[in-house]
Amino acid sequence: MTDLAVSLSGVGKKYPFFTLDNIHLQVPQGQIMGLIGPNGAGKSTTIRILMGLVHQDHGEVRVLGHRMPAEQVAAKWNIGFASEDMRLYESKTLEWHMNFIRSIYPQWDVTYAQRLLKRFGLKAEQKIKGLSHGQRVKATLLLVLARRPRLLVLDEPTTGLDPVARREILRELTDVMTDEGRSVLFSSHNTQDVEQISDQITFIDRGRIIDSMDKEVYLDRWRRLRLEAPSGIEVPALPGIIDVQQDGRLAVATANAFAPDLANAYEGTGVRVQCIETMTLEEIFVANVEHSREGVGA
Amino acid sequence: MNGSFVISQSDKRPIYLQIMEQIKRRIAVGDWTEGQPIPSIRQLAVDLHVSVITVKRAYLELERESVIVTQQGKGSRVAPNPGLGTRLQEQELQKYLEQAMRLASLLGIQPQELESRLREAGDNVAAKELI
Amino acid sequence: MNRSVVQALILKDWRLQRLLVMLSLAAGGIALAVLQVRCEMAFFLGSTWFFVSMIVLGCMLPIANVINERKKQNLAFLMSLPVSVLQYAMAKMVSTIGMFLVSWAAFVVAGATFILSRPDIPNGIIPVMLILAALTLIGFCVVAGAALVSESEGCSIAATIVCNSLYGVASYFIIFNPAIHGDLKSPVPVWSPIVLTILAWEIAAIALILGITFYLQSRKRDFI
Repeated sequence: MTDLAVSLSGVGKKYPFFTLDNIHLQVPQGQIMGLIGPNGAGKSTTIRILMGLVHQDHGEVRVLGHRMPAEQVAAKWNIGFASEDMRLYESKTLEWHMNFIRSIYPQWDVTYAQRLLKRFGLKAEQKIKGLSHGQRVKATLLLVLARRPRLLVLDEPTTGLDPVARREILRELTDVMTDEGRSVLFSSHNTQDVEQISDQITFIDRGRIIDSMDKEVYLDRWRRLRLEAPSGIEVPALPGIIDVQQDGRLAVATANAFAPDLANAYEGTGVRVQCIETMTLEEIFVANVEHSREGVGA
Repeated sequence: MNGSFVISQSDKRPIYLQIMEQIKRRIAVGDWTEGQPIPSIRQLAVDLHVSVITVKRAYLELERESVIVTQQGKGSRVAPNPGLGTRLQEQELQKYLEQAMRLASLLGIQPQELESRLREAGDNVAAKELI
Repeated sequence: MNRSVVQALILKDWRLQRLLVMLSLAAGGIALAVLQVRCEMAFFLGSTWFFVSMIVLGCMLPIANVINERKKQNLAFLMSLPVSVLQYAMAKMVSTIGMFLVSWAAFVVAGATFILSRPDIPNGIIPVMLILAALTLIGFCVVAGAALVSESEGCSIAATIVCNSLYGVASYFIIFNPAIHGDLKSPVPVWSPIVLTILAWEIAAIALILGITFYLQSRKRDFI
């Protein structure tokens, strides 16, 4: 069995207006896990529990083999954490922060830090308050990346960044994969980023995990079928189909458990399959959330 | 070596298919020759800034199609298959022909008309090459 | 391996709040300079300014060093470091009280020196001055602890106001305590048993306040 960089089992946490329920999450070592979900779904809470910043009500959390939050100090030597609500000291320079981190972590790589400064277009002598939002995000990530931690935990690392900056971040994150012993867990609204670099995808909505699996397997399960029904016939939702939108004779069926014989099944009912399209993660995201909310009686 | 690999965002097809196609194209035009070692899964993933699992899938499918071979511990290489390049080009031709048929049927064009249109296209191509 | 992280945190706080501490020392210095002028108004101005400087520092320091870190969302950055909630609290209390102590000690020494240097002011005041100054130290520990545990600016300010209000009352009872009052005019400092007892209680109070602070802090389950 491969080592797990992160393992949450049966984790739950109750807040006055929100409950995180029965979270099972596993990130195998050497992989990138993308966490996606709508606002308020519980991504940040899950990440904070993972980091030991919030104590779960029940369930077990293990990060790099350490139980959290009890062994958080040991774990945090090897974790690089950056979140969207994290702020650096405004009145100090980036260089001050770099020296501060360096004074704590012996693994700080000076050469790599310099290279990142150049790649991200940042000036070390600049005060944090003088940086734009995108530059601050990059600065925070630099402080985390230059240590080369075994696990990167990032809450919305590309949110609010321009396309060039996003590309730079994605490049650095995939570079981490050169070392098989390093892993990444990140949450994002940007489904394109998640689709591009994740090995595993976890889908969270309203405090519950909807799906968690291999990205390629997941993408393969979803298809959009464009159908043509004989006049007057209502297109049925066959097993594996979660939604059918019909207008006249034309219909679009969304499948979340696609199998090749699904097309034959439709042909068998007299419905012609015009084409079968793959879906982007964004389309899957929307379909999934709408479907799961319907089921729970949104 | 991997500089010209580009994953297109506007291309609706899954990334692993795009990777497969670009590898096949390299082999078809002869840039990657038979028996030549190709980047490891992890290395290509890093170079393309895509997930390892996507490249892994592309390689698995390519191996299934006998386009590449992977040896445990030794990495992957282009399949030592004489005529592989030609075979891939044949596959691509077939794909385009089928697509043309599908489009023609949507437009209501009959096969005979399609045939004469094909000859016309051939003349155009020849004319352009002379210039 | 972890003591160095706590040390790094304490040093960081010193570097961040350096300006505030130096300003208060400068204010105290100016107050002392004013006190050199031998006239009643100068004495009044100087000594008031002296105490105000210390009290203002006592108000601003917990807010600047403790509350602001949470308000300005620096906490997530710090807690991503290999440090536990309790270790953070320890570093925070050490740096906050430490910085105050530097100014406080300077003020006390300056005050004592001033009194000793002026023949027209009886040295018997010194023990009482020390007791009163220790009161501000206790008050500061309360405010710093409140800031850390409550995580709220409002609470810290409330604690500050309560403590400041109590200084007057406490001072009254101490100065006019018959056992102490008599020794005020003495030309030499009198370290009577009651003075020593009060000082001992004050030290105990500080220890108790710190103990309660750490206990309450350790009970917290969610850091953010």
